[in-house]
Formats: sequence, structure tokens, C-alpha cells
Amino acid sequence: MAKPVGGLLGVWSSEDKLLEVAKKVKAEGFQKFDTITPFPVHGMDEAIGLKRSKIPIVTFFACIMGTLTGFGFQTYVFVYDWPMNIGGKPHFSLPAFVPIIFELTVLFGALITVGTMFAWNGLPNFTRVSPHARLSDDKFGLFIPENDHGYDVTKIDQLFQSLGAEEVVRVAEF
Amino acid sequence: MDDIQKQTSENTELIPQKKYWRSLEEYRNEPEWADLADKEFTQSPWFEEDIENFEKESGEGGWARREFLKLMGASLALSSFACVRRPVQKIVPYVHAPSDIIPGVANYYASSWVHRGEVYGLVVKTREGRPIKLDGMSLHPSNQGALSPLAQAQVLGLYDPERLNGPRKFDPKNEHPFRRTQEPEWQDLDKDVVADLKKGGVYLLTSSFASPSTQSVIQNFSRVFGAQHVSWDPIGYDDVAQGQEVSYGQNIVPRYRFEKAKMIVTVEADPLSTYQLPTEYARGFSETRRVNKTMAMLVSFESLLTLTGMNSDFRVRIKPSQQITVLMGLAYELVVKGKKGAYAQDSQALKTLKPYANAAEELGIEKALLAQIAEDLWNHRGESLVVAGGLATRTEAGLSVQIAANFLNSVLGNDGTTVDYRNYIPGFGETTSSLKSLISKMKSGQVKTLIVQGVNPAYVSEEFKAVASNVGTLIYMGDRLDETGHLAKYIAPDHHHLENWGDAESAPGVLSLQQPTIRPLYNTRAFQDSLLTWAATKDSSLKISWHDYLKNQWKKHASGNFEDWWVEMLQKGTLRTSFVPSGGSRSFRTSALSQVKSVSSDGQQLVLYTKAGIGDGRYANISWLQELPDPVSKVTWDNYAMVSPSYAEKMHLKEGDLVSLKVGDKNIQVPTLVQPGVHDDVVGVALGYGREVGDIAKDVGVNAFQLVSGDVYSGQVVEVKKLGKNSPLANTQIHYNMMGRQIAVQASLEEYMKNPEHIFHHHEVFSVWPKHQYPGHKWAMSIDLNTCTGCAACVVACQSENNIPVVGKKYVLQGREMHWIRIDRYYLGSPSDPETVIQPVLCQHCDNAPCETVCPVAATTHGPEGLNEMTYNRCVGTRYCSNNCPYKVRRFNWFNYSKIQEPLNMAFNPDVTVRSRGVMEKCTFCVQRINFEKNAARLEDRQLKDGDIRTACEQSCPTTAIVFGDMNDPESRVSKRFANDRTYKVLEEFNTQPSVRYMAKIRNWKSESENHHQEEVGHS
Amino acid sequence: MIKRNVLIAGNKTYHDITNDICQPIETLPGKGWFAYLAIAKTILLTWIICLVMIVGVGLGLLGLSHPVGWGTDITTFVFWIGIGHAGTLISAILFLFRQKWRTGINRAAEAMTIFAVMTAGLYPLLHVGRPWFAFWLLPYPNQRGPLWVNFNSPLVWDVFAVSTYATVSLVFWYVGMVPDLASVRDRAKNKIRKIVYGALSLGWTGTNRNWQHYEAAYLVLAGLSTPLVLSVHSIVSFDFAVALLPGWHTTIFPPYFVAGAIFSGFGMVVTLMVLVREGFPQMKDYITVDHLEVMNKIIMTTGMMVGYAYASEFFIAWYSGNDYERYIFLNRALGPYAWAYWIMVSCNVIIPQLFWFRKIRRSILVMFIISIFVNIGMWFERFVIIVTSLHRDFLPSSWGMYDFTVYDFFFVFGSFGFFLTLFLLFLRTIPMVAMAEVKPCLSVGREGGHHG
Repeated sequence: MAKPVGGLLGVWSSEDKLLEVAKKVKAEGFQKFDTITPFPVHGMDEAIGLKRSKIPIVTFFACIMGTLTGFGFQTYVFVYDWPMNIGGKPHFSLPAFVPIIFELTVLFGALITVGTMFAWNGLPNFTRVSPHARLSDDKFGLFIPENDHGYDVTKIDQLFQSLGAEEVVRVAEF
Repeated sequence: MDDIQKQTSENTELIPQKKYWRSLEEYRNEPEWADLADKEFTQSPWFEEDIENFEKESGEGGWARREFLKLMGASLALSSFACVRRPVQKIVPYVHAPSDIIPGVANYYASSWVHRGEVYGLVVKTREGRPIKLDGMSLHPSNQGALSPLAQAQVLGLYDPERLNGPRKFDPKNEHPFRRTQEPEWQDLDKDVVADLKKGGVYLLTSSFASPSTQSVIQNFSRVFGAQHVSWDPIGYDDVAQGQEVSYGQNIVPRYRFEKAKMIVTVEADPLSTYQLPTEYARGFSETRRVNKTMAMLVSFESLLTLTGMNSDFRVRIKPSQQITVLMGLAYELVVKGKKGAYAQDSQALKTLKPYANAAEELGIEKALLAQIAEDLWNHRGESLVVAGGLATRTEAGLSVQIAANFLNSVLGNDGTTVDYRNYIPGFGETTSSLKSLISKMKSGQVKTLIVQGVNPAYVSEEFKAVASNVGTLIYMGDRLDETGHLAKYIAPDHHHLENWGDAESAPGVLSLQQPTIRPLYNTRAFQDSLLTWAATKDSSLKISWHDYLKNQWKKHASGNFEDWWVEMLQKGTLRTSFVPSGGSRSFRTSALSQVKSVSSDGQQLVLYTKAGIGDGRYANISWLQELPDPVSKVTWDNYAMVSPSYAEKMHLKEGDLVSLKVGDKNIQVPTLVQPGVHDDVVGVALGYGREVGDIAKDVGVNAFQLVSGDVYSGQVVEVKKLGKNSPLANTQIHYNMMGRQIAVQASLEEYMKNPEHIFHHHEVFSVWPKHQYPGHKWAMSIDLNTCTGCAACVVACQSENNIPVVGKKYVLQGREMHWIRIDRYYLGSPSDPETVIQPVLCQHCDNAPCETVCPVAATTHGPEGLNEMTYNRCVGTRYCSNNCPYKVRRFNWFNYSKIQEPLNMAFNPDVTVRSRGVMEKCTFCVQRINFEKNAARLEDRQLKDGDIRTACEQSCPTTAIVFGDMNDPESRVSKRFANDRTYKVLEEFNTQPSVRYMAKIRNWKSESENHHQEEVGHS
Repeated sequence: MIKRNVLIAGNKTYHDITNDICQPIETLPGKGWFAYLAIAKTILLTWIICLVMIVGVGLGLLGLSHPVGWGTDITTFVFWIGIGHAGTLISAILFLFRQKWRTGINRAAEAMTIFAVMTAGLYPLLHVGRPWFAFWLLPYPNQRGPLWVNFNSPLVWDVFAVSTYATVSLVFWYVGMVPDLASVRDRAKNKIRKIVYGALSLGWTGTNRNWQHYEAAYLVLAGLSTPLVLSVHSIVSFDFAVALLPGWHTTIFPPYFVAGAIFSGFGMVVTLMVLVREGFPQMKDYITVDHLEVMNKIIMTTGMMVGYAYASEFFIAWYSGNDYERYIFLNRALGPYAWAYWIMVSCNVIIPQLFWFRKIRRSILVMFIISIFVNIGMWFERFVIIVTSLHRDFLPSSWGMYDFTVYDFFFVFGSFGFFLTLFLLFLRTIPMVAMAEVKPCLSVGREGGHHG
């Protein structure tokens, strides 16, 4: 959701209701629409028709990266850059490397995952404001952007009303 | 000092002078030295014309060009880059560099130190003109390269901040409070003093010393002023001399030849630590204790536990009243029962011995044992030795003990062999009696002027203090304002011996030279010079400097060109004159036996003793000695009442409980120490503590000299009262039970001879990874527990060599003493009368060092030559290494210890880093010495020889218990010792692979009494 | 299936929830809160003074000695690290196990974790002789030629473990916080609040596309944190297990330490939650007695685990036949530090057994007292492990004691000031319950409510 667009927002007061609405709206052939909820609503992805998130794959490779870094760095230091006789132990003492390898794996995994998540969600974005104050409280909204094909204010308005929207708001840009 | 310098300016071309005086001129040009330096100048003849305006300017404090240059003039050899920060003021390097001073390279001077009759040949190591370490002179026949703790600590005494910086004159009646203490010039002082001397009634009280030339100075002085010379020591051996007198008609202190003795019996005497010549005796003892069929046996009868007793094969606890019983009992066994020896028919002998028929019962030991000992003595007649003496024998019956011992030695034919009266020990002088007579003279007012030198009577004798006011003029020649100094009218401060010339006679015809190794730090003057200067006012023939006087004295020994010979002497330090000891033999006068009397034995008996470190207390202001754990009790910074465990139980005493000891009308309060091995009816207290002045010495312990009555030090009945108060003792070793672990191994000679490999358990260890290889050198150390007596010389040596700080009682109590080498002591057997095993422990330099693995910053790692190296400036101080060290040899700088009062920092060894706060430190195997020798070898383009590198501890060890070397060299002494079947590794089972290995202690036990050395002390 | 108790009491609506939880942030604190803060700050001040003295004068001020090179410093470090385990454990592991009751407490618990780890982190820095060089423990490229750290040393592992744990916990905490911060922003009346929380919430709006990635990421973080939690205390335990000392050199340490950590962590959570319930009555609906009871069950279980560990240590010491090991454990139970050992046993093993009784499990007062005991007991556990092993190791000649000083006391006690101050500030600035996670659970246990 790169640049903000205007659109029409319907507001309901129960997640179950919103779920039906979403299904209907999907059936109407809209694609770019999205719901706005105070908490994740189960089954909404299917309702809107979103594919599974790719985050875990990112994590997997991030972790591999961490592992290799940990192993590579320690080996480089102890075997090549600064081989020392410490307590008569061999330079390449793998068991001693394990803890740090593990920690780096987790660290890389976690940070890169979160980074990606924010990036894909276009966060941080300080200009964007929620089109309706209580959507982060107890209201559940569905927003159809202008650029969705088949966008027609009156038509959508009727649709929302027919689905029992508490209110229908015309959003300048979101 | 004037004289010395005049004389220098005259014959500076003499090589020894040059070599020597140049080095004197090295002086630090640091601000804190300015005032010292200017005092030097105001003295020095070279700058007379400058004196006045110099004083004017320096009064204004600033750093005017002229005086700066003047200071420069003084500090020709600006020195000591190391171990001190660069001075803030502008400084100028060498103006013209002295030929023999290379910054960073040490100069060594042969010298000697005299402590009463003890004469030590010294090699003084100086850096940039500062003496920083005293090593033993290997050429010297007495100490042969080793050095006692007391002797080694003298270098710190040189830099004692409390030394007087010039003469003093006290005039308490002066109405101006500020003028009551004046700092006169020497010339003025001399005028006043001479005026007093001329009044007559002059007495000269000095310590006993073995210096012929000083003797002659004193004779001259006495001749001129009709003065009486009184030689006195708080502790001496005149009882021995007296005994010799009565028994043989010779008033001498004979020399014992332990190296020749195969069967040794000591009664109270502690020749390995505090009796007569410990260093020489310890060496002799170690030689005769070599592990083989003819290994000598040592049996000690003693009331307190002494180092000698700890090293003995048999030890029998007696009380002072039983000393005579032991000796006569043995004599009875030999002469009466055994009808042995020349005196078997002698009526007097038989008469005297009759009462001692059942000595064994009186002593509470099996008859067989006493008989056995007597028999062993007889079997080794001519090479056995009976030594009785020490403060514990100075009872009413003191003389009897000496006579009895002499009798025994004569019966056994030891007189002349192991008791060497031909090479007797000169210089052990009078003790109490001489002072007593002096005091009576003082009372009666005969003493108009009293000159005191080298001793501190006011500390030792209340009485002296009391009558000191009777003396018209008291002139004190000490180096500080101590107890006696406070009574004096004039103080003519003497040089420290490292600043002064002198000579010493360690045996008839064996002379050693004492040469100064630093220009006097302060405006002091050799006391010989003072005497000469004063005498010269009446007899102009004495207008001569002490240095020249000394040379003249030595002229008679010279051969060939004197000056060349003199140079050689200065380098060798020791001389055997043509003098031949009289070969004539002597015989025991049985009439002496008539004087033998025994004493009553009721009640708790007091035994006074001295510690190896503190001695008679004259050096109590040297912190190293105060913090040196006593070889026997391991207690620092205190004296205390030593009582036996069972007595403590009876009196409900725990360590540290204050008790009052009442002897006659005298009464002192000391903490208790429960000391296994002490006789149940005996209370032991150490002398030399409780000084009233001195930053270090003040209020440490209690002055037990009060308890001395006349010349009776021991045997008095003492009332012990528990006071319910407690003052903890700073004990460096709280636990002395080996817990059945294989730490300090000992075995009996018999079982060792039978199957050597079974005296300890060998652990099978293996490693999962390949060992690191050590091509080239691999440094290692072998410590022979059999010859180690635990004398603690190595501890002080290490402290001096490695700049090891002193932490004080408070922190020793917290277990923060910093010694890199400690001497562990374990008890085996019954708590009341245990066997003692001694084990020096230092960093073991393990190949698989547990400390290295855990250091997060790799501050401690392994060197290519097997050293466990500590990188101070990388250390952040996690103390993880110390936790993980199984031997607990690492020491942590809890505070900033390296910041110490000046000029003590001049004693620092510039080759060794001064550790900052928050870093870990430990034994480095004296890596600075290793590197120095390696360099030397490289420069001379030769291979390192075994023995080139000697660690400080090894060097100071009188018994060669410690040997350092390269274990990769199969010919090295270390490799040979490692191959020996007595060698084992401590905590071998943890596969730390230590480079320091120990050789099991062998006890020369008789099989029948072996069983009495088994089961262990209950956990302390 | 069994009828479940409601997770959130008192028939709330979503809006009520938001109001309840945002109330502490949006209203001015009362006297009570300021009183607490004042106390906490005073304690904190004593700590600061104490630390300044120690850094300025030297470690000698503490009772450390040879042979006892570590004392209250490392003890307290391990103590706080242990406390720091509950938070992430609750949020991560219970999340994976779909334990919905966690939602009431996970935010506060995580906050506790962060602050505990912050406190703990200071001790390794301050226990070294030259704290100003503590950064040398980090392997950073430097101009001194090749000069790195020693990767064999457990202390270096610690550095990585603790810092990773701190970072990941912080991230985890923050990610969970973002939607709630957004709600606060949207409710904000005054401008500054809007700006501040706007910035903090990064412009979160809660579109489903965001929620999708968000949930995925949160799940992954939970998955990563779980082994992390277990690893941190294992690695801390390596400090001892890797060493040579009898009493330290034991393979049981990692699980034993982890159990201990969870034990003490939950103890601390209960302590704090009870206080929060008292301070903010409305929270009783979210932090219900049911929740506390569940935690008490965990406390009892883990308590028995550490009890098992204590027992097995003794067994192994005997069974191994290692004299040194045997002596150390006899010395623990009977030696000069027996008092510490028995405090540990009674606080950690015996007292928690009271939780067998439902009444006690559900009694606020009793559980509060017990949780305090648990914390005391766990501090002493670490003290026993560290000091009794050090003070009598291999050579009896070098045995010694730990010599407590007044500095030791403030060194330990003062840290609570630091911790509490942070926690009190947290209560007033950040939603102390995760709204976005609680709301979905609103229906749980209600009639006809589905278990979303």
C-alpha cells in the first residue's frame, strides 16, 4: 500500500459480522479492499483471499545466515587470525563454539524477521492515520479503495447499508 | 660524610672508587628529591660558594635556573625511568654519562650484612643506582648464596620513610615550642657532643657485631675519651659462651657442623629458623638429609613447636623444667647404664647422673625410645650432635642445660667434629647482664654521657627508660626517632648498612667486606665516622675517614699491590686470611657438672621465643616482615599466647580470645593461638612486638620483653586468665588438615627404600585432544619437600623481586594477602603432637591450565616455553581464573596497592610491572630473569646453561629445595629430579599437567614407632 | 469438553476493555503510586551510591577474597537473569501451547523480564576489577593487531547469550505492543500524547494485510524465543558447569538452572501481579485468580524440580566416588554455610508444597508471601552454589570464608530499587495488558461463545 488513496469505509461492531461482509464484498468481485480491525480476525485471510505470509521463509534463511556467521567468525579468529595456546586446548575447538553459534542464529533470525515484517507492512509510516478512531478499539471496518475495479460509491454505499453497516464513511485518503 | 666525599674527590681515579662512587652519583632528579638533594649539597664541598644563595632561593620554592642546574649537577646520572611516572618538571638527560651505568641494566656489588653474629655475604643488585634486591653471595662460606628473610628485607629498610634525614638536637627546656627540636649542622652537633664527651663518664652502648675494624674504631674512641664500651643485644647466646667457659674454659659460641652429623638431637634449639646461624645450619642439615641409607635422623625435644621440630623425625614435647632431664637422661643411658665413653668411670659424672635414672617416666615417653635415641647417638659417636639452646632454655637452669649438652657432646666425642670450636662464631655478644650493670651505673650517676648505637634499649627495658633521665647526655645513633631516640638529647643518625662501609668476621680468619651501594639518601653519617670525628678532636692521628681507616685495617691482609688487591676484594667480598685456628683439642671439665641443677616444674610455664621474621623487633618497621606468615603458626601482624589444644579446651579458649598473662608483677594481654605441638603446661609468647613508634610497627602485638626477668626468659610460672574479649589473628592458613588428599606426600625411609614407587598413588590420566608441542625450552620447577624446611626465605625473596604489595592486617584477615609463593603447612597425627608437612605452593604453570580456558579476554595464555603468562594490561579482572585455579595461587588487586609512600617505591624492581587496581597477578617463574639470561646468552652467542636462570625463590633457598630449569634438556637438574621416583604432581588426576612438581618428603622413622604417625587430625 | 472459566470477568465489552486498560495511562497517578515510586527511588539511590563507591574505590569493599572470587555480585546477576525468564517464557512458550490465560499477564511479565535483564546485565559489568574496560569482552575489530576474545570462556558465551536474550525479548515485547500503542494513539485527546504514541506505534492501522504478516512474525518470534529462553540460563549455568570446581563441575546444571529460573520468574510475576491487582482494581477482571492459580501450580511443579536437582546432586556426589565432590556437598549441608543451604531448601522445596491446597493456591495473601519466600530462596540457591563451592575447594591450605560487608547488602538490595522504579514507570506509560490479545479471548468461557 504505497501511496495513499481515497475510498469508502464501512464500519460494523462485531468481527463475525465483518467476516460475512468481507465474503460478500469478495463475491462482488472487489480485490484491493481490506479490513481494519483492533485485533486479528480469524478466517479473514481466506475471506479476503490472501495467500499465506512468506515471513517464515525469510526467517529460515536469516537463521542459516546467523549460524554460518557464528561458525565462520569463531573459526577464523581461533584458527587463522589469532591461534593461541589456551589451556592446552586445540585451536579449532568446535564444542566451545556451539553456544555462540546458537545465539547468533536466534539473533539474526529474530531481528531480520521483525525487520521484514515491518518493511512488508510499510511501517513505520507516520503520515498514515486510521480512517476511524474506534477501529483500534471496538469497531470493525472494511475499506474499498477507489482504484479497485468496479469502484462505485453509490453501489458500495448501498451494499454496506444492506449489510447493516453502522456507518459508511467517505475517506479522502488512506 | 664530608670526609668520605673529600676523600673521594681526592682519589677518584681508583677503579673501585670510580666503579663505586660514580654509581653513587646516580640520583633521581625528581621534585620530591629536590629537598634531599639540596641537603646533600649544603654538605658538599664542591658547592660551598653556592650554599647561601641556594638556601635563599630554594626558600622561595620556585625552580630558578641556577638551582635547577645545581640539582642537575647532583643528579649527573638521572635515572629510574622505570616504575615511576615521568616527572612533571623539566628534566635534562645525562650531562656526561657515567661509564658503568647503562639505564635498564643492573649493577651488582659484593657486600655483606651483619646481624649480631650472623654474617651474610651479599650481592646487592642496583638499578640506576638504587639497591633493589639483596641476593646471597655464593662465595661466602656461611650463607653460600642463600639469604634469611630478615636479611632480604633490609633493602626495604633502606627506603623506610621514617628514617631521619639529618642530625637532631633536642632541648625540651627551650621556651619556643618550635625550637625544642632543632636540626643542627653536623659541625655544630659535633661541637656540642665533644664538649659533653670531654666531661668524662662516657659510655658507649652498641649492638654486638662481628666487625674487627669497627671494634678497633671503638677501642680508639674509648682510649681517647676513657669511654666504656658495652656491647649488648636483647637476644644473644652468652649462655652458650658461658657454658663453654665452664665446661671447656673457652668463652666462645661454637659452630655446629650439621653437614657432618648423622644423628641430631635438639633440645629447644631451633637451628633451622631462629637459632644462631639458621641459613648456614639449614644448608648443612639439608646436606646430611639426602635420601639414602645414611640419611641423618633428627630428634627434637621442645616445649613450643619450632621449625626444627616440624622437620624432625621424632618430636617429644617437654616443658622448660624437663630440658635438663632430657639431656641428663640421655647421658645416664650412655654413661651409667651403657658404661660408654671416657667418663664412664668418672665419680663426679656418676654422682650427678644418679638422680636421672628414670628420666623416661618423668618425660612421659617409653623407656625404649630414650634408650633407642641414646643408642643411635652412640652408634654415630663423633658424627652425632646435641644442640641445646634458644630462649626456651634461658631458665634459672640455663647454664646447667648448656653444661649438660656439652657433656653429652664430649661423651659422644662430637666436640671438635660436629661441635666446631676451632671455627667458632665471633660477634655474639652479651645480653641482659651487660645492660643490667650499665643500668645500675646509670642509677648511680656514673654515666654522664651515653652513646647508644644499633640497639633500642628503651624498647626492651622499662628500667632503662626509667633511669635514662639520670644520664647527662644521651646521644643516639639510630636512624629513626624510636623509643630510645625520644629519650636522646642528640641524634647523630647512622647510615643504613647499604650506604656504609664495613667489614665482618663470620669465623676466625674469615672476613667479608661491606661496601656502600648507594649514596646516602639523607644527611646521615656512618657512626664510625662520628666516633672518629669526635675522637680526632683530641687525637689528631684519628683525623681520617672511616673508609680510609677500614682500608688501613685491611692493609695487613693484603698481598702485592694493595690497590689492585683492594679492587679484587671489593669484587670478591670475602677473604680467608692466613689465620689458622688453633688445632689444639680440649676436654670436658667434669667439675662443671657440679653446677648442674634442675628447677621446679609446677604450674603453667612461660616460654618466650622469637619469630624468623621479626626477631628481636629492631626491624619491626619493615612491612614485609610483619606480613610474612610465621613459618610455624602462619599468623601475620601479631604476637599471641601459643597454647596447646588440650589446654585451650581446658580453659575454653578459642583462637583470638584475649588472655592476660601474669608473671610475677608483670602482666600483658594477648590473643590466644591454639597451636598443636605445644606442651600442655606451656604458654609461648613471641618477642619483638608492641613497638611504641613507627607507622608499621606501632601497636602491632604486645611487647613481651616486659616478662623477661633478669636473664630468665622462660620457665617462669605464668597465670593465664581469659578476658572474654576477642581480637582476631590474621592467620593465612586456617585449615591444616589434608583431608586424606594426596597433596603433600611423605613416607618413611624404610618403606621408600623397600618399594619407592608405592609411596604415593599414580593416577592414569588421558586427554581427548592432542597436546601442544613445546620445541625449544620448557621451563619447569622441582620442589623437594624433603629438604624444604619452610624457612620462608623464598616468600620474602619473591616479594622483593616481584614488587608484591603488603595489604595489612585488616585485609589479611579477609584473606587477601598477595604473596605469589606461600608455604602450606599440614598436620598429621594426633592434634596435640602432630607430624608436620610443609609445602611451598606457587603457580604450577599447568600445560592444561584451567585458569586460561575461562579468561574471557585471553589475558592469561600459554607461552611457547610452557609458561602460564599473565597479561596485566589486558586483564579486566573477572577473577574467574582465580576461581578455577585448583591450587588457588592467583592474587587479585582489590585496591590500588601500587600507590605507596615514597621513597618506598625506590625499592621497586623496574623489570617487573607494578600491577594496577583490578587486575589478577601470580607467579611468573621470574620471567624477567628468564628473558634477561636468554638475552645475555644470545649476546655472548652461547647456549643457555642449566642454572643460568635462577628464580628469586630458588636463589634464596638455603637448602636447594627449589630447582628451576628446562625440562626439555635431559641433562638439566630439573629433568633429573623429574625422573626421580619421589617426584609427583599435585592434583594429577585433573590432568592439569603442572610444570611444578614435588618430591615426596622422607622421614627417617624407626619402624617400631611408625604406627604413631598415622591417623589424621580431626578437621579444624 | 470441560466448561472453561471465563478468562475475562465481568461481562465486558471490547470498549470496556480498552477503557479499563488505558485508564492508568490516561489519568494522573494517585498518591499510592507516588508513594511506591518514592520508596523505589530511595532504594535506587542507595544502589547508585554503592556502585559509585565500588567503581571508585575498588572491589575490595565487597566481602570478596581468596579463594572466594565471586560472591554477591555474580549471585545477584544469576538471580535477576533467572527472574528474567518468566516473561518470555509466558509470552513465547505458552503462546505456542495456545494457553489463552497468558494474555492477561504476558505484557507485564515481559516488561518484568526486560527490566530484570537490564538489572542483571549491570552485575557482570560491575563485578570486574576494571569496569571501564568491560567492553573488552566484546569481539570487536581493533587497532591492536589480532586481539580478540577467548571463545572458550563461558563468560564470553554469557555476553552473547544475555545480550541476545535482552535484544530479542525487547523486540518481542515491542512488537506485541505496537497495536495497543495504536489504540492509545487513536484515543488520545491531547496533541503531545497523540504525537508520542503515534511515533511509538509506527503508524499501525490494523489492516488485515498487516495483521497477516504480524501474526506470522509473532509466531516465528515465539518459536525463536522458546529455545532462547532455555539456552540463556543453560549458558549462564556453564559459567559453573564448565569450571573445574567440585560443586560446579556438574552436567545437571543446565536443566537445573532453567527450572530454577522459571521457578523464580513465576515467583516474581505472582508478587508483581498481586501488587498490580491491588494498585489497579479494574485489573482484577483481567488478572483473575484463575490465572494466579495456574501460575502457583507451575511454581509448585518447578519447585519440586529444583528439589529433585538438589537431591540428585547429593546422590551423584556420593555415587561418583569423587572425594572433592563428596566433601563439598557435605560441607554445604553441614559446613559453615549450612544456614544458607537450609534457607534455600526450605524456601524453594518445602514452602511451595503448600500449593497442593486449592485454598492456598487461590489465597492472594498467602501466595504473595510464598512468592516472596521463593525469591529469597532462589537468591540463596545461587549464593550456595557459588560461595560454598569456592570457599573450600581442592587444597585445604587455601580454604577461606566470604566476609560480608555493608556494601554487599546495598549491592544486592539496591538493585530492587532500580527494578521497581522501571516497573512503576511502565505501569503508567504502556498498556499493562495486551488489549489486542485479550479482546479475542473475550468470548472464551461465555455462553455460546466460540473458542476463537
